Amino acid sequence: MAAANDLDLLKGTLDLLILKALTWGPMHGYALVRWVSQTTDDDLQIEEGALYTSLHRLENRGFVRSEWGLSENNRKAKFYQHTALGRRQLRSQEALWTRYARAVFKVLQTS
Amino acid sequence: MTANPRYRRFFRIDRGDADVEVGVDEELRFHFDMTVRDLMAKGMSPDDARREAERRFGDVQHTRESLTSLDRERAGRERRTEWFGNAAQDIRYAARGLRKKPGFTLAVVLTLGLGIGANATMFGIVDQLLFRPPAQLPDPGAVNRIYLSRRDDGKDFTGSSMQYRRYEDLTNWTTSFSETAAFWNTKFAVGSGDASREMVVEAASASLWRLFGAKPVIGRFFANDEDRAPEGAPVAVLGYGFWQSKYGGRQDVLGAQLHLGRSELTIIGVAPKGFLGTSATPPAVFVPITRIAAEIDAGNRPGKRYFESYNMSWLEMIARRKPGVSVKAASADLTNAYLRSYAAHRAMSPSLTPAEIANPRGIAASVVKERGPRPGQDTKVATWLVGVAAIVLIIACANVGNLLLARALRRRREIAVRLALGISRGRLLAQLLTESVLLAMLGGVAGMMIAQWGGGILRASLLPKIEQTNSFGDPRILAFTAVATLVAGLLTGIAPALQAGRSDLAATLKAGAREGTYSRSPLRTGLLVMQGALSVVLLVGAGLFVRSLHNVKSVRLGYDVGKVLYVNPEMRGAKLAKPEKAQLRNRLLDAARGLREVAQASRTITVPFYMTMEDDIFVTGIDSVNKLGDFTEQVGSPEYFETMGTRIIRGRPFAAADRDGAPRVMVVSQSMAKVIWKGRDAIGQCVRIGADTMPCTTVIGISEDIKHGSLGADDQGLNYYLPIDQTGQDQGGLFVRTRGSAVAQTEIVRRSLQKLMPGDSYVNVTPLDEIVNPEMRPWQLGATMFAVFGGLALLVAAVGLYSVIAYNVAQRMHEMGVRVALGAQTRDVVRIVVVEGVRVAVVAVVIGVGVSLLAGRWVAPLLFETSARDPLVYAGVGSLLIIIALAASLVPGIRAARVDPSVALRAD
Repeated sequence: MAAANDLDLLKGTLDLLILKALTWGPMHGYALVRWVSQTTDDDLQIEEGALYTSLHRLENRGFVRSEWGLSENNRKAKFYQHTALGRRQLRSQEALWTRYARAVFKVLQTS
Repeated sequence: MTANPRYRRFFRIDRGDADVEVGVDEELRFHFDMTVRDLMAKGMSPDDARREAERRFGDVQHTRESLTSLDRERAGRERRTEWFGNAAQDIRYAARGLRKKPGFTLAVVLTLGLGIGANATMFGIVDQLLFRPPAQLPDPGAVNRIYLSRRDDGKDFTGSSMQYRRYEDLTNWTTSFSETAAFWNTKFAVGSGDASREMVVEAASASLWRLFGAKPVIGRFFANDEDRAPEGAPVAVLGYGFWQSKYGGRQDVLGAQLHLGRSELTIIGVAPKGFLGTSATPPAVFVPITRIAAEIDAGNRPGKRYFESYNMSWLEMIARRKPGVSVKAASADLTNAYLRSYAAHRAMSPSLTPAEIANPRGIAASVVKERGPRPGQDTKVATWLVGVAAIVLIIACANVGNLLLARALRRRREIAVRLALGISRGRLLAQLLTESVLLAMLGGVAGMMIAQWGGGILRASLLPKIEQTNSFGDPRILAFTAVATLVAGLLTGIAPALQAGRSDLAATLKAGAREGTYSRSPLRTGLLVMQGALSVVLLVGAGLFVRSLHNVKSVRLGYDVGKVLYVNPEMRGAKLAKPEKAQLRNRLLDAARGLREVAQASRTITVPFYMTMEDDIFVTGIDSVNKLGDFTEQVGSPEYFETMGTRIIRGRPFAAADRDGAPRVMVVSQSMAKVIWKGRDAIGQCVRIGADTMPCTTVIGISEDIKHGSLGADDQGLNYYLPIDQTGQDQGGLFVRTRGSAVAQTEIVRRSLQKLMPGDSYVNVTPLDEIVNPEMRPWQLGATMFAVFGGLALLVAAVGLYSVIAYNVAQRMHEMGVRVALGAQTRDVVRIVVVEGVRVAVVAVVIGVGVSLLAGRWVAPLLFETSARDPLVYAGVGSLLIIIALAASLVPGIRAARVDPSVALRAD
């Protein structure tokens, strides 16, 4: 998993992206993958498998929960949504990331 | 959570591990299918699309595994959370239900508490009697208590008491044991002057310390060379408790002097805390057994010393087997040694039964006395009472089960609704069982309190020899109670759970509260019959024991118990010559007679059930009189018969003229006269006592028989009486007949007589009651316990019967209303209800009587001159139960008859 190594830094980022995606409402794994790639314009080159692992890890930690349901084309699919804990996590991570990114950006600007 | 229009929920969350894998695969498949579909929509070929999808995804296998393991972890956690959540919910639900019905809860908790409490108490007692080896004894399985058995006059005697010489023989002539020890647990006056008290003293061989592997707290224990015949060293080891209470645990107690009996002992050490040796109660002092033996010996008639002869059986023996030696081999080894010792014994006393007939055997038995060949009567009764307590618990469970069942029936609609709403039957069952286990736990707590309090009374009043324990502090009793509680909870929960599991949903829901609900519940009736039958069994037991007790109490002892005191002078160190001893006793006699409270007094040597004397007697023309039975010898003053209340049937009692030097005279009991002279007049006959060369002792009177060794028919009442002036003037004590109850005068008599005692000597005054009553205790115990438990069982069964009948009547109000409307009389309605109750009782009586008759075979040996099939008891118990059933169903019957038809028919 060479890509995953590059993305060590972004492991937390992946969680953040997923939590952010789910603010639009419950979605299944495929929709989530699409949303991430569309929103990032494929800039991040994320392996989809890593996305699923991240998703299940979040579920395991209680940030999201899943339920089986029917997809738009009437197929059985697993839908994910936030838990209250997940929403809190999203807010705090968002704030942290924004601060962090701003700081890094500031440093890069000065050079 | 916001409702999502794009999907609807219809699958349950993943549960099992298999579900998890299927779920992961399904999710991934969906992902690939969608990806491929979208890529193909963009114009890719199916193969390209699949390859592209896999590329984008990365390592499928690895991802699949990590997803599965993540999900599995979560599913497990969720299952556990759900289980705990359910359990907590069930407990809350059950607790709320119980709080809402405090009366019901109290009744159930008390019923179960009594059942569990009775069992905890009996378990505590039996555990202590049968399953506790002596404290601090390492590897008790390898230690045996030694019993000797032999055959005499066609009867087998097995006993643990033996002579010092025998103990030495068995020690020297066996090879099976690594250590043997002799001991004698007794009471001695310890201390001097007013501070002296009778205390538990363990006389033990020096080997006892090694056998127990004990280490002294301070000082040392006595060693072999301090425990040697003829006379052990005057040393003492203090018990820990006595050291603390008397000496405040001081270290300088070593070397101090201690007054014990006639001896001055030097304290050389202190035994470890909690060390009891072989005693049931903590000994105050441990003394070398040869020291005590020498002390007793000094008081005896001159002759062979205790270590030379086989005259006096008094000590007991325990032994530790060498590793690898079986109990059987040890017993065989003992038998061989005993045979050799018996031969030595017979060489000294040629009158001893030859070994071929006596068949002497040694037995290595359990170190726990009550498990050996000679358990006490108390133990037998206590073991029985365990069964009785178990029956009480079963009855309590049946009753509580019945009450819960009635509740379940009332809640039938509620349960049906909940089933219809999708609760699983498993969850429902768990809920019902939670309720009954919760009740049982409350009952268990109540039971522990009952065991602590009621058990204390029981032990104190009926089993005084058993030491008090704290039920709450005893892990074995706690564990037992916990198990009993759990079993009770499950037992009581089964019936209602079965009922709930069986109910037909649709029918119950369709029916109104009235319609279709009346059907006799066979389960409830069955439980009721069982309760009734078990109550009958217990009550029959109670009846049999009460009859036994009555028979024991009405046994004509041949003397009055309630009005007689036994006065026993203890000489302790005061060294008097024989004439002085005789004078002292006669002074005591005169002083006693001078008291206002005393009606009469007499000298005595023997005391019934306490001290017996026998001598060889010879009658011309009869070959070996001693083969005819055991003749007991009593010795007294002329007033002996008046004092004891023993009637003279013919002839005369002793007179003052029958003194030393006058012609020798005796009084014999009726049975003795009959056995020896068979129809001829006994008065005027000549008996030679001690040897056939002795001068004639002439029979001058015939008295009634007395019970001297046993209350039963095995005491044949072969007694004879000699005037004390013609026998042992200097021995024995007094019997004092008081005007009022003897117990009340004990202290007055003791104080008055004590004034005459020289030096350190003192008098013991004991009501004869206290000596004779313990003989009746097994029946007292049996009668009380069976009566208490039987009464409880009856009460519980009566309440159960009432509640079932009342419930049935309530269910049939509609029907009763119809009957009344159609012109039924009060009498008819009452009859319908009462007949139902009585029918249950009759069935219960029939079953109970059958079971009792079967069980009677085992209880018969415990009864006293009472048949285990005593018709009076059976008839009494049977009618009692039926009368109770009548009473219990009469109340609901009358209520049913008072039904206002218009109300009953309009209801619901």
